[in-house]
Amino acid sequence: MFELATPSPNSKSRYPAVANNRGPTNIYNFERHDIRTTTTPQLLPHTHTSTSPEPLFKMSKAAGRADWADDEDLDDNVNALPPDTTTTNKDGTKTIITYRFNDEGKKVKTTRRIRFTTVKEVVNPRVAERKSWSKFGLSGKDAPGPASDTTSVGENIIFRPSANWKKDQKEEKPEAGSMKDKLKDKKVKCRICNGEHFTARCPFKDTMAPVGEEGSADVAAGPGDEPASVAGGLGAGKSSYVPPHLRNGGGGGEKMGGGKFERDDLATLRVTNVSEMAEEQELRDMFERFGRVTRVFLAKDRETGLAKGFAFISFQERTDAAKACEKMDGYGFKHLILRVEFAKKAQ
Amino acid sequence: MRPILLQGHERALTQIRYNRDGDIIFSTAKDQHACAWYAHNGERLGTYHGHQGALWTVDVDPTSTIIATGAADNTVRLWDIKSGKCLKVWEFNTAVKRVEFNEDGSKLLAVTEKRMGFLGTIVVFDIKLDLEAEQTDERAMTITCEDSKATVAGWSFLSKYIIAGHEDGTVSQYDAKTGEQLDNTQAHEPDALITDIQWSPDRTYFITASKDKTAKLINARDLEVMKTYVTDTPLNSASITPKKDFVILGGGQAAMDVTTTSARQGKFEARFYHKIFEEEIGRVRGHFGPLNTVAVDPQGKGYASGGEDGYVRVHQFDKGYFDFTYEVERQVRAQQQQQ
Repeated sequence: MFELATPSPNSKSRYPAVANNRGPTNIYNFERHDIRTTTTPQLLPHTHTSTSPEPLFKMSKAAGRADWADDEDLDDNVNALPPDTTTTNKDGTKTIITYRFNDEGKKVKTTRRIRFTTVKEVVNPRVAERKSWSKFGLSGKDAPGPASDTTSVGENIIFRPSANWKKDQKEEKPEAGSMKDKLKDKKVKCRICNGEHFTARCPFKDTMAPVGEEGSADVAAGPGDEPASVAGGLGAGKSSYVPPHLRNGGGGGEKMGGGKFERDDLATLRVTNVSEMAEEQELRDMFERFGRVTRVFLAKDRETGLAKGFAFISFQERTDAAKACEKMDGYGFKHLILRVEFAKKAQ
Repeated sequence: MRPILLQGHERALTQIRYNRDGDIIFSTAKDQHACAWYAHNGERLGTYHGHQGALWTVDVDPTSTIIATGAADNTVRLWDIKSGKCLKVWEFNTAVKRVEFNEDGSKLLAVTEKRMGFLGTIVVFDIKLDLEAEQTDERAMTITCEDSKATVAGWSFLSKYIIAGHEDGTVSQYDAKTGEQLDNTQAHEPDALITDIQWSPDRTYFITASKDKTAKLINARDLEVMKTYVTDTPLNSASITPKKDFVILGGGQAAMDVTTTSARQGKFEARFYHKIFEEEIGRVRGHFGPLNTVAVDPQGKGYASGGEDGYVRVHQFDKGYFDFTYEVERQVRAQQQQQ
């Protein structure tokens, strides 16, 4: 598939004439194969963190040396450009630093980190020969490589065959249906007067505050009541402003900080000693046996894409998480023994 | 998997074929040219011009030298794959709905339509697999279908039988040498026409797709129905995957009803069934119209589907597809390893 991403100019050189020196090709010989070796430079975007395939770039000519226009400058100019440097990094990538002058005559330094991947493809000699055929008909004038008007790449489709595909499909549908049913029985209820109409249409909307709130309490208890007591005992005095974290009886702040994350942490496992080669999907597959997994986070090195060795797995149910914790602790995965424990609350 | 979309046709696709090595895809549509594509990147190799009507069918010989196309202009044409040159034109009385080379490419069959007082026929030609050679005008054999016209046909193993699917849901077996009808069986519903026949890699059995919403796996020797795949939509095409024991079925609401249904209800998906267990194992969506044709790479690496929407979508299977096995299969494999 990546051939699409690296179009035309390279494609010729990337299909060397492999069928050469083979003598007459036996048409029915299916065992004969050629090995082709191609090298594809791959730019590593610095901000890249996800596992999706990294975009491939073709090596422009400028990568190796300065533009021809700059060559003159190089000779004449006093501020000659420093020579390009190429260093090999520990993780197998290469850093190439090039210098050039831009249109305004300013020096520009370009640093690129490139990973070279060698793609070997075993191809039948007949297939290799057919790849060198020239185009004809409506495509006669097209450049080598896929033409953009006839060939495009569709969106990614996840196709995972499953033995109980039908059942899975049915399970999904009733869920949607039941939601609908729930909503069907739901009656419209006004927040201000509890009547059977939308709040926006309430006849009291300008005169009353919603039920259970400060204003309504006022109305219910009469104007003589002490409003300060409702506002957590802090709103006393002339000022009616209550800071957000003190509203609703002062408990709001706590809830906000803890609420969602607390629940999350309860069913979240921390997995350590994970292999570098692990993938999120593999972890998900392993842990899904114990219950519905809502989130899998595998820490990865943003440059190399290798796992850092720990992961977090959130379950829907704490009981499932506990089961998984018990079973998976000490489980051997990719030559390493996993350590699974409940994640500690973030400080 | 990320499909490659091929937009070489302006009208509905009618048939897709891979060559034997699986590196070139041929497609025909109701516009008047056939297209050849590289399967690995979707690059168009070229187009074949000359037909004056909708193309119904295409087939490629096993050596990938010649393709044959059949069209609504009542002709079958042979083309040089490499140059796009037309090598031969055979004229008929009616449209040609299906062409197929036999296993070694020495014979070609063509199924003609029943129309204007002419009965449907299956015609066989001897082919010389040589670009320079003069192809014969003479028909090696003609089988006339008197009861119900043949819609599709193909060659069995060793070119022993010609198997034909008919308009009335029957499948018949002819002797490929004499043209005599040996067997006939009501494989599908009597009012549902058979839309496709595709072979297993060794041509000992085949799969039929029918408008009666089922596809059947049938033995070529005695026309025994071995497996039945039941779906909820009329089927236009069915294909057997090599390497894995799956079948791919394509179909959807008939073209005339499409405007009144949404993509979801139209069921415009390629359906994967397990060949042995007859269970649906997954679907691949993407087309905006019914799937008219499905073809599998003979090397088992991918498949292509062509729809009423004029697109060909080429899919390369990914790891999940090859890894998928039933629990039973895994057990059997484990047992075999132990022994």
